[in-house]
Amino acid sequence: MSTISDEILSVKDISKAFPGVKALDNVSFSVRRGTVHGLVGENGAGKSTLMKILSGVYPKDSGTIIFDGKKIESTTPIKSMNSGLAIIYQELNLVNSLSVGENVFLGRFSQMGGMRGIHSKARVLLDSIDCRIDTHRLVDELSVSEKQMVEIAKALSFESKLIIMDEPSSSLTCDEMKELAKIIRQLKGQGISIIYISHKLDEIFDFCDIVTIMRDGQIIDTKATAELTRGEMISDMVGRTIENEYPERPQNVGETLMEVKSINTRKLHNISFEVRKGEILGLVGLVGAGRTEIVRAIFGADKARGHEIKLDGKTVIIRKPVQAINAGLGFVSEDRKLQGLVLPFSVEQNISMGNLDKVAKHGVLRRAAEKEIADKYVRALNIKTPTIKTKVQSLSGGNQQKCIIGRWLETGPRVFIMDEPTRGIDVGAKYEIYMLMKEIAEKEGAIILISSELPEVLNMSNRVLTIFEGRITGEFDPQMVSADQVMESALGLCSLEVHERAQEI
Amino acid sequence: MRKKFELRKTFGSFFTNYLVLVAIVLLVLVTMIVEPKFLSSGNLTNIMRQFGPLSMVALGMTFVIIGGFIDLSVAGTFSLVAVVTVSLIDPIGQVPALIAGLLLGALCGFFNSVLILTAGALTQAEALFITFGMSLVYGAFALITTGGAVLNMRDITSSISVFEGIGQGTVGIFTVSFLIFLVCLILLYFFQSKTVMGRAINLTGGNKTAARLAGIPVDVSIMVIYTLSGLMAALGAVNQFARVTTAAPVMGKGFETNAILAVVVGGTSLKGGKGSVLRTVLGTLLIILMSNCLNLLGVTPYMQNVTKGGILVLAIWLDNRKPL
Repeated sequence: MSTISDEILSVKDISKAFPGVKALDNVSFSVRRGTVHGLVGENGAGKSTLMKILSGVYPKDSGTIIFDGKKIESTTPIKSMNSGLAIIYQELNLVNSLSVGENVFLGRFSQMGGMRGIHSKARVLLDSIDCRIDTHRLVDELSVSEKQMVEIAKALSFESKLIIMDEPSSSLTCDEMKELAKIIRQLKGQGISIIYISHKLDEIFDFCDIVTIMRDGQIIDTKATAELTRGEMISDMVGRTIENEYPERPQNVGETLMEVKSINTRKLHNISFEVRKGEILGLVGLVGAGRTEIVRAIFGADKARGHEIKLDGKTVIIRKPVQAINAGLGFVSEDRKLQGLVLPFSVEQNISMGNLDKVAKHGVLRRAAEKEIADKYVRALNIKTPTIKTKVQSLSGGNQQKCIIGRWLETGPRVFIMDEPTRGIDVGAKYEIYMLMKEIAEKEGAIILISSELPEVLNMSNRVLTIFEGRITGEFDPQMVSADQVMESALGLCSLEVHERAQEI
Repeated sequence: MRKKFELRKTFGSFFTNYLVLVAIVLLVLVTMIVEPKFLSSGNLTNIMRQFGPLSMVALGMTFVIIGGFIDLSVAGTFSLVAVVTVSLIDPIGQVPALIAGLLLGALCGFFNSVLILTAGALTQAEALFITFGMSLVYGAFALITTGGAVLNMRDITSSISVFEGIGQGTVGIFTVSFLIFLVCLILLYFFQSKTVMGRAINLTGGNKTAARLAGIPVDVSIMVIYTLSGLMAALGAVNQFARVTTAAPVMGKGFETNAILAVVVGGTSLKGGKGSVLRTVLGTLLIILMSNCLNLLGVTPYMQNVTKGGILVLAIWLDNRKPL
C-alpha cells in the first residue's frame, strides 16, 4: 500500500488502437508525487494519445489507470479536471474574448460568487505563482507565455495534483522559458506532480527528475535523468532499424534535375536546395518545422514570392498547382482524406482526376479511356478494391494512397513530392509503396520525401536535409551518419554552427 | 438474415433515392381523387407553363450547388433581365433584345464569380452572403431601370412575335416553354455527365482542395457555374414575362428560394459534389405540383409556405441520413 501513496498516477497495460494503427501497445508507467516526469519520443510515438486517454478525451481499449489511489474506469475531460488532473495543451485552450479571471473560472462563475469573486480568487492564484497579470485583461491581448500562466492558474484552481504540460516551451522566448522553469520548481515545491512533454532535450535534462521514452506506441525506458546521457536518450527515441523493412536505395543518382532558390515566407527562411536525377531526397524535421510548407511553396499550393525554381536548368514559373503539374511536378499531399482524395467519388474518378485531358476528346470524356487508365493502375499497383466504381472512401489507407500515386504516375511527373506517403498505412502496404518509390526514382525521376518516421527517411533517401524552425540546418548522406546526428540537427541542436558557417560564407 | 438485411438495405436506398418520385405519385393520386379538376387540360397546360421558368432557374442552380456553392442573386438577375429585355424591344428589336437579355444574365452571374474569387470567399456561407448582396444590387438596378413601374408588353409598338411564341405557343401537346426546357435539360445533362468541365465542377464540389492540388481548374469551374446560373436565370425570366406579358422589377422574388428548394428536394446535396440535373427536374415537378394541388384544394399561400419549408428541412435531414 505504501507504493500507492507514493505514486500519484499509475498506468498499467494501456492499449489503444485507431483504424489501421496501434497507437498504444501495453503501456505502463507511473508518476511519483512531487516529481517532474519528462515524456519524450518522436512524433507519432503515442505521447499525445496517452495524455488524451489520461485526461478523458479518448476512451482506452484496455488497461487500468490509478490516479491518487483511486482506480479510474471511464472519465471525461471535466471529470478528470475535477479529480485533480489538469492538462495544458500546446495550443492553449482559452477563450480569447473573455478576461483572465473569467477564463480561470470558466463555467464556475456562480460557485465562485459572481464576477467579483472570480477576479479576487484568480488574483490569489496568480499571485501564488508570482504572476502580475491584471485579471481584468482580455486573454486575446496576452502573450503566449502569459496565456500559459493563466492555464496554470486554471489548473491550480481545480486543486490539481498532477499537471500535464504538452510542449509548453514550443513558442516561448528564452526569458519566458526561465520564468516557466521557476514556476515549475514552485509547483513541485507545493507537492504537485508534472508530466512534461517536450522535444527539447535540454529542458528535459534541466527540469525533469525522471524521464520516460516512448517509441511506436510503447514505453522504451523509464529512468532518472541523472542516469541518462543525451546520446542514450536520442537513440532510444529513434530506435533500431529492422532489416528488410525497406528496399535498397535507388542506385543511379545523376546530375541536378531541379534547383530551388531562396524560398522565403513567414515561416520559411532562405530555403535553397537541389534535387538530382534518380535520387530520393529526404526532408527531416519536427512537425511544424516547415517541411510541408517548403514543398507546398514549390508546388504553388501556398503563396510564396521571389524564389526561383529551375527544372533541367530552365526557370519555371509556378504560382498555381496546375503550373507545377505542367512543369513536371507531382504532389502526394500530407493529408490523404482532406487534400488528396475526393472521398465520395469512385476509385476510377479519383485516379483519372489528374488526367482529365488525357481521357477526353474536345472536352468530352471518353468513358472507355477513363476505365482503361483506372484498370491499368488497379492492376499495376495492386489496389485492392471490389470494382473501379467503388467509392474510394471505403478502401483501406494503403489502397487509398495507391489510388493517389496511380493518379500521379499517369500524369508522369519528373519530380515527385511525397509528404507522409505511408502515414496510417500498415507494414505490408508500406513496403509496396517503398518499392514504387524506388521504381519512380530509378526511372529518371526524383522524389522529395517528407516523413515523420525517421527510420523511413533514413533508409529510403540518398540524401537528407534537416529542417528546424523554417531553416535548413544540415545536409547528410544517411549511409554515412547515424540517426542520432540527423536527429540532433533536426532538433536544432547544432544549428548554431550552421548559422556561423553561413555567416562566414 | 443477411439476405433480409440486404433486401431492406436495397429497399431503403431505393426509398431515399426515389422518395421524390414516390411523393409526386402520391400527390397526383390524392389530388386526382379529391379534386377531379386537376386532370383538366387547362390545368395541365397551366402546370407545364409554370414549370418552364422555375425549372430553368433550378437547372442553373443545380450546377452551383453541385460545385459546393449557392446563388441567391438569381432573384435580382431574373428581375433585371426581364425589365431590361422588355424595355429594349422597341429600341433595338425583339431578337437583339432577347440576346442582350440572355447576355446580361450571364454577365451578372460571371460578375458574382469574379467577386467571390477576388474576395477569396470559398465557403458556401460566404458565397451565400455575397450573392445575397448582389441580388439586392441587381434588383435595385431593375427598379431604377423602370422607375419602379411595371412594364406591359401591350405598350410595345414593334413586333413581339418571338416572345408571344415563347409565352403562348404550343407544338402538338407541348408548350414552347416546355420544349425550351427539354432542350436545356438534354444539353445540360450532357454537359454535366460527359464533359471535362462538368466533371471538374463535380470534383470542385466534392473536395476543392484535392481538386486544386490535382490540377483541376477550380477557379474556372466557379466562373462557369455562376455564369451558367445567371444565364439560366435570364432564360427563366424571358419565359416568365413572355407568359404573363408584363415585366415587373420585383418579379424574380421567390425564384431563388424555390430553385434551391427544387434542387435540394430533388436530392442534390447541399454539401456539393453529389447531384444531377435529372433530380432537379423531379424536385421542380414536386414543388410546382404541390403548389398547384394546394391551390386547387383551397389552401392559403401562407400555409403553402409552411409545407415548402417543412419539405426543405425534411430533404436536408434525409440527405444527412443517406449512407455514404
